[in-house]
Amino acid sequence: MRDLEVVPLPMVISQAPSDDHSEAELMRQVAAGEIGGLETLYDRYHAIAYALALRITTETGLAEDVVQDSFLGVWRNASRYAVDKGSVRGWLLAIVRHRAIDAVRRQRASVAIGDGADEAVPAALTLPDIWPEVAGRLDAEQIRRAMSALPPAQRDVLELAYFDGLTQREIAERTHAPLGTVKSRIRLGLASLRDQLVGLNEVTMAASPSGSKKGMA
Amino acid sequence: MAGMTCDRVRECAPGFVLGALETDEMIAVQDHLDSCPKAHPEVNELGGVLPYLAASLEPVESPAWLRQSVIEAARSDLASRRLIGEPFARRLVDTPSEHHVAAPVAAAAPARVISLNAVRASRRRRAAVWFGRAAAAALIVVVAGYAVVVQTGVGKPQGTDEIIWNALGQPNARPAVLVAFDHSNAGGLAVLMPSGNIVVTVHNLQPTKGDEVYMVWLTPDNGLPSKVGSFTVDDSGVGDLNVDRVPTSESLWIFVCKEPNSNVTKPTGPTIVSGTISL
Repeated sequence: MRDLEVVPLPMVISQAPSDDHSEAELMRQVAAGEIGGLETLYDRYHAIAYALALRITTETGLAEDVVQDSFLGVWRNASRYAVDKGSVRGWLLAIVRHRAIDAVRRQRASVAIGDGADEAVPAALTLPDIWPEVAGRLDAEQIRRAMSALPPAQRDVLELAYFDGLTQREIAERTHAPLGTVKSRIRLGLASLRDQLVGLNEVTMAASPSGSKKGMA
Repeated sequence: MAGMTCDRVRECAPGFVLGALETDEMIAVQDHLDSCPKAHPEVNELGGVLPYLAASLEPVESPAWLRQSVIEAARSDLASRRLIGEPFARRLVDTPSEHHVAAPVAAAAPARVISLNAVRASRRRRAAVWFGRAAAAALIVVVAGYAVVVQTGVGKPQGTDEIIWNALGQPNARPAVLVAFDHSNAGGLAVLMPSGNIVVTVHNLQPTKGDEVYMVWLTPDNGLPSKVGSFTVDDSGVGDLNVDRVPTSESLWIFVCKEPNSNVTKPTGPTIVSGTISL
């Protein structure tokens, strides 16, 4: 098994997104309390936000609550959005994921009250989407194919961690795999997915005159 | 977990970006990232993959009423902020110097005993209702959960929290969960008693220095914020306040600001936590 090696990303995907300006302007509007900005943000991202909330909660009502709370969270904290740290979409989806997992855990706790459940909820990460350029080119189908190309064991642990909000230890218990194995699978899965996305981006860029131009910049 | 090394952080990075470490590990990694002078590109590199996990999903159109609900809630929030003269942010953060990690969930997941469906049904009927009330409904669900936990003896609080937890069990107590206004870890509870007595406790606060205080404000329906009282915080990060005869109304917005001293007559400092007290 190879160890994860962090290699510098190609220049083109380290750059700011092409619609950086409009995204920044959009968030500036939201941060300034302009309702129109929030409407645009909602119209642009509600469908993927709702899909993520639904995938995690598996319940429409709960997903609706999560989406509403998430957009209001963005509304109230828009000034915290850092332009150079990633796309608005990445930031929003991190919030949606966090709240959805929280909602599910709260629900789980209500069932387990008699057991004295005291699950700690992991911190929600709003790590930057550093590949906004990639996101602009790759469609969902390409990303799904990249996910499908992962070895099933790696894909499963990533999905259990990302969509189900399980910790590595919980995944080990759920899958009956040693903790060390789970950690390795997560590490390799993320690295592999990352490599595939970078590869897909290069292919897409080569096929796109405008993309090639950007790559030269 | 204290004193995590750079190598150990690199090792933990995949689990960290997924939020899949145990809580103490998450905190230790974050503490290291906050204080380490060395760059940790592996965190950003791996964290950048996460949005693509979501992007693998097929988008799903949300119900039309949800958009209206979000926008109306934002309008109400905007109105209430203007009412207290709190400016909206004027700029975006251009070059943050630290890794951006949101606060852990404000409180450990409480037991919830009231069906969310009831809250949701109410919310849908009142899609255009003031944001504070809608949020309060959800918050009360949470607090009711806490109350049941106390009554059943599960996770019974100790020390300074005991007063507020006891107050939660009183008839006609009006609770509010105080949640961080930004991405801090601060959070707490407030309970307004029918007698006009209010008990507030907030955790994970930065210690106060010199004359600094945390000031508690209450804003009644369509009213101006009034000062409830102040408290200082030591290294424990916990602040408490117990005040009689506070102004009440059907719905109250409670918020805690950090102020330079206790003589301020209107909120001037940053809002740390806030919540809504509803009937």
